[in-house]
Amino acid sequence: AAGSSGGPGTPCRHHAQLGACESRAKYREGWRPRAVKVYTINLESRYLLIQGVPALGVMKELVEQFALYGAIEEYHALDEYPAEQFTEVYLIKFKKLQCARVAKKKMDERSFFGSLLHVCYAPEFETVQETREKLQDRRKYIAKATNQRDCFVLKKVEGPKKTASKNSEHDCPWSTSGSRVASNWDPSCFTSSSGVSHNTAYPSGNQNQSLLTSPHYDNNCAEISGYFGQNTSLTPNIHPGGHTPPASLMQQRMVPAYNGIDRFMPRTTHLQERKRKREEGNKFSLIGTSEDNTEVVIGPQLPEIPKVDMDDESLNTSATLIRNKLKEVADSVSTSVEKAESSSAKPLVKQRRRI
Amino acid sequence: MELGRLEYLQALVTEFQVTDSTEAKEQVLANLANFAYDPSNYEYLRQLQVLDLFLDMLTEDNETLVEFAMGGLCNLCLDKTNKEYILEASGVEPIINCLSSSNEETVVSAVTTLMFLTTPRSCAQTTALPVVECMLRFSLSANTRLSNLASIFLQDYCSPPQVEEARNLSKHTAVGIPLPKD
Repeated sequence: AAGSSGGPGTPCRHHAQLGACESRAKYREGWRPRAVKVYTINLESRYLLIQGVPALGVMKELVEQFALYGAIEEYHALDEYPAEQFTEVYLIKFKKLQCARVAKKKMDERSFFGSLLHVCYAPEFETVQETREKLQDRRKYIAKATNQRDCFVLKKVEGPKKTASKNSEHDCPWSTSGSRVASNWDPSCFTSSSGVSHNTAYPSGNQNQSLLTSPHYDNNCAEISGYFGQNTSLTPNIHPGGHTPPASLMQQRMVPAYNGIDRFMPRTTHLQERKRKREEGNKFSLIGTSEDNTEVVIGPQLPEIPKVDMDDESLNTSATLIRNKLKEVADSVSTSVEKAESSSAKPLVKQRRRI
Repeated sequence: MELGRLEYLQALVTEFQVTDSTEAKEQVLANLANFAYDPSNYEYLRQLQVLDLFLDMLTEDNETLVEFAMGGLCNLCLDKTNKEYILEASGVEPIINCLSSSNEETVVSAVTTLMFLTTPRSCAQTTALPVVECMLRFSLSANTRLSNLASIFLQDYCSPPQVEEARNLSKHTAVGIPLPKD
């Protein structure tokens, strides 16, 4: 399936189904015959191209089948894409990359209504912003999985709130709003300075999108400001592109319906929340297990990332609170966007007003 | 034969080193590059000097080996230790050279790797004028993957003056890094 590599909807080289490798040495033969191919973050995508769908009007069934692997954001037939006789080609866009990954693995070469499906990634359908987010998610995932937050903990310990807010303003120039989290941790890792902007040469970029300009941001940030830099991902899920992080602290576009304003809770509620969370104790770690979703763990289990011990009681308490809060928020966001929309704080606030 | 992870990776590296078969080399390299996607393997890969292997392969004639090696680097370069290692080993230069490859995957991996390797110290190299100029051209490509990545490079990793300077440069010269063919 050679063809011009180009815009979405045209056959691309990376769509081509390569023949399975026949000549592998025994010790490295897998369970299933596989082609020789390297998967990078550039190839992977939330968009999946599905070829070989029998032209029997089975779009609904197809989508239902794929939806088993995660929430689907969009799907439609690709009428212009060259297809074998009596087959159709579809595009399915998952909400999360991890779901797309699993779906591809499971559905590729699967028989569907008598026809063999060929499923591949279609990153050419991504917008610039989607690609940007994909790369950022990958950054966060690696930072978390390799425990590289540690270097930030040390930096942020002194004067967490101030430093972080100042950092967030200054670090942003290094990269645009979309990747502000990435910018927070990356430069800090390599600079011996206090973490304040080390490079003023970089542009402010698309500041109009920056969360810094929204007044409520600092409020929301206040609670976990000390860890913003270290916590390159607010999702408890270690899988790339996993649970959607609390949008108030992440790019709002990740969960479009999730508005940072809704996240602001009165201080008293915070205190109550902390107490409640403290009582729940160490049940939650920063990386929760994905028992609440259908995601399948692929590949070797990553080692449990040990909780960071700050050598300070109050900091440890704060860290635990933050972890718990993040888990709670991430859970509530991923299970129901609507609930979040109508102010996640709402039910809690009502319950806890009595002081 | 049941092999522990380290032993398995070791077997791969050994096979790569002893085999005469190009096919086998490609398979093994692809295998290693895919393993490089998973952080739990990084310690082993460093131990087995696979990072050096990837870097060495970038200057091979075999386009497939370059493609796979570049993919491997792209996969593992976000890890801080790996990043530092690659930078220390003067890895930026061969990666920049990969931007001239006619292999789409190689180029795309190289663009992303340069982004991932950009730090305050390395940015002078990774966002040098010829690179920015190259990215400008890529950002106009009909290849969406490439243009997206190049746009992100220009927007997020370069300053407006840098982009401006590159823009002015390309107005005056026809010499440049070609777009990858298919």
